[in-house]
Amino acid sequence: MSPDYAYLHSGDFIIFALLAIVALVSAFQMVIVRLITHAALFMALTFTAVAGIFLLMQAEFVAAIQILVYAGAITTMVIFAIMLSGLRDIKAERSQQVRRFGRSDYFVFVVGLIFAAFMTYIYVGAHLPLSQPNGSMATVKAIGTSLFTTYVIPFEAASLLLLIAMVGAIILTAKEADQQ
Amino acid sequence: MSLPIVFPLGLAALLFGIGLWGALTRTNAVRILMFIEIMLNGVNLNLMTFSRYYWQQDEVMASRAPIIALFIMTVAAAEASVGLAIILNVVRNRGVIDVDKVDLLKG
Repeated sequence: MSPDYAYLHSGDFIIFALLAIVALVSAFQMVIVRLITHAALFMALTFTAVAGIFLLMQAEFVAAIQILVYAGAITTMVIFAIMLSGLRDIKAERSQQVRRFGRSDYFVFVVGLIFAAFMTYIYVGAHLPLSQPNGSMATVKAIGTSLFTTYVIPFEAASLLLLIAMVGAIILTAKEADQQ
Repeated sequence: MSLPIVFPLGLAALLFGIGLWGALTRTNAVRILMFIEIMLNGVNLNLMTFSRYYWQQDEVMASRAPIIALFIMTVAAAEASVGLAIILNVVRNRGVIDVDKVDLLKG
């Protein structure tokens, strides 16, 4: 398999490289930044960059859901949780946490890197069949059609799961009203 | 998309690795939950990459991957909401956010 570096000059690669750098750097910053609110905002940036990569793959539906659910809902929920738990040490990790890189930190970082390198090695060595994607991804219309016909039972199960999660979160966090 | 498939897959693996690193080293419960979301997002990126490169020959297969991704995001949202509610309860009852200090069951 002779290496072909023609893709290096394509616009796809440049945009992908920019988005990947943004995603990786902000995910890295999430780990080492001290304020947890900043970590939540870096998480939103990571999710937005990954949504951009989804757009690059012409998966507009998934990109929109990613922006709405991850960058919108989950980030807001995390920030609300940080705000509602009025502890001071949730905002900035104190005392022994301040040391950024203990020995175990480096060790686990190396473990994560080894995992990523191993997976990439497998992907490279697998000789995946070269597939030039022609045509476009499924449209939102096709997704909706098969979601509401073929997959309507899982869809209802997911809605039931969300309902149960909502009720459970309300029950867990609501102060007992009958005690007052 | 003329990109080799290794690049998006490598990015997904790196996101998963960074999320693993953070979830294993940080002791703040909210931050651990955030890294779990990052790991789930890496898995989603992997799925969408394979779908983009191999699954779009016919219409039926092409619409499956976004549906699976949608379900993954649904479960992630439900898990995050219940997890944050549990964390709020822990903070309210025990006054700590550090998961190392929540050691009621430790012998």
